[in-house]
Amino acid sequence: MEIFLQQIVNGLAIGSIYALVAIGYTMVYGVMKLINFAHGDLVALAAYVGLTVLMQAFGMHLSNLWAVILMFTVTAMFISLFGIILERLAYRPLRKAPRLSAVVSALGASLAIENGIMLIWGPNIKVFPSNIFPSTRWHISGVVINSTQIAILLLSIILMIALYIFINRTKIGTAIRASAIDQDAAKLMGINVNGIIIAIFALGSFLGSIGGLFIGIYYRELYFQMGWIYGLNAFIAAIIGGIGNIPGAMLGGMLLGIFNVLIAGYVSNTWSEALTFALLIIILIIKPTGILGERVAEKV
Amino acid sequence: MRKNLVWYILFFTIAVIYPHFVDPSWVDIGTTFALYSVVALSQDIVLGKAGMFDMGHATFFGIGAYTAAILNTVYNIPIIYTIPIAIALSALFGIIISWPIIHLRGDYLLVATIGFNIIFYQALQNNLFGLTGGPNGIFGIGAPVIFGINISSQRAIYYFAWFILLITMLIIYNIDKSKLGRAFHYLRESEIAAESFGVNKRFYKVLAFALGAGVASLAGVIFAVQYAAVSPETFNFTQSVLFFTIVIVGGPSSIPGILLGTFVMFVVPQFFREFATARYFVFGIAMILTMILRPQGIWPAKFGKLPKYLTKES
Repeated sequence: MEIFLQQIVNGLAIGSIYALVAIGYTMVYGVMKLINFAHGDLVALAAYVGLTVLMQAFGMHLSNLWAVILMFTVTAMFISLFGIILERLAYRPLRKAPRLSAVVSALGASLAIENGIMLIWGPNIKVFPSNIFPSTRWHISGVVINSTQIAILLLSIILMIALYIFINRTKIGTAIRASAIDQDAAKLMGINVNGIIIAIFALGSFLGSIGGLFIGIYYRELYFQMGWIYGLNAFIAAIIGGIGNIPGAMLGGMLLGIFNVLIAGYVSNTWSEALTFALLIIILIIKPTGILGERVAEKV
Repeated sequence: MRKNLVWYILFFTIAVIYPHFVDPSWVDIGTTFALYSVVALSQDIVLGKAGMFDMGHATFFGIGAYTAAILNTVYNIPIIYTIPIAIALSALFGIIISWPIIHLRGDYLLVATIGFNIIFYQALQNNLFGLTGGPNGIFGIGAPVIFGINISSQRAIYYFAWFILLITMLIIYNIDKSKLGRAFHYLRESEIAAESFGVNKRFYKVLAFALGAGVASLAGVIFAVQYAAVSPETFNFTQSVLFFTIVIVGGPSSIPGILLGTFVMFVVPQFFREFATARYFVFGIAMILTMILRPQGIWPAKFGKLPKYLTKES
């Protein structure tokens, strides 16, 4: 039982990372109906940029706390800007094109970012320092929780609540929801859809960059192809929750994190990816729109 | 039509004399080009003609290659007899895989097919039933013997691969001209309209998968023969992305477009081998630019021409 609870705690930490990344996929899909395959590589880029910023900060003899704060702010700003530029250069010219052309453009962007990372930082594995968060551990009835997990969980939950309030309570949030339901009608209501799409890419990339930094802090090993694996997992999380649905992405991320950890712990490590996708396919067969997704009637 | 025929004859004439002018490594590239074109054309049956987003086509390519490899090395069945078995098995897999997911729309189908590809890849990696050889794959695959001719030399395999490409192009041409091709076309343009015309949606969609799977596995068998070995990496999800991109970049349901797409996506990178580190960075940007400049593909298919007997004055 203790081992099981320990797995759940680990799963929640990983799951909140997936959730942060999944929100980026789901928001872009919700408004543009585009699978942004470059999002995962943007997350990987965030981890690399964060590592560089952190090393610079340590070089300037900043204290641990300030170095981490600097790392989060600089990386988040840089990646958000990067997301906006990516949309402007690779996706906006294709908005009227066939949908699969935009998908190929996204695949090209993914390839370019992935290999750009390799050109800048080299093909070898980079390692995050281990002393970013204090190595305090808490023992709660046999379950060990370390400060990194607490930080990841807390910060993710704060960000998700903030996002939820932003989407549901503010004017821009309402405009985002309106654009997701019907772009043309949103335009007629005076919503600047281009501006909304920019906002979505900035927000998604921002949350993704936080997720990327958490990946760096939690797993510590960075390699240039890692964007694919995390991106794919986060994307599955988005679909499980119901793509286009923001609370769904959060729920899907948490569920997938717990599922992955339980599979690795109790079933098999070598079949984990296959089982993750098997779960996805089963969910798609039973409920194609995901757990929280709404059924869309076919228009004639 | 006659004008096209001239171009195709020219294309195959160049292909026939090509291996006499280049060194062996480029003959190999020519062989792989033909096989990848076959896979891309088979992917196009599903993606371009029937309009279903399939991003797991390397699965069927792999089923062909592994069927031939296992039957040949473990059970000593000659390669030539493994071809029909591989095609039948792969088509069967195409039906089994697509049957439960065929009703999924667009992107959901895309993700489900990615899923099957990754499950297939991990099954190969984990040495399923002790037959697939794990991460190293299977070595020592024999060569086919047809009418007493042993197809084992590099050039013989090259010509065999091009012969397969020719057959595939004829199959595709016939699909386009038949009831089947029209049904696919209807389904792609509008499923509801197609159903109201009496096109059995599920039947034709599954059939598209079965056809695509069968043709891809044919290429897979020859691919296993070409390298005398198979390994999981060649049938990874990234390979599926390559085939998918070939079709979209070249031009969906356009035969010349797909041949050109294979050339651009597979042969052109071979020219830049010495820039190994930077080439995929440039390649990614080139993919974006191609789609922006030619959103319908480099050589899009032309539709909408009325047949002659309708326009001819009587």
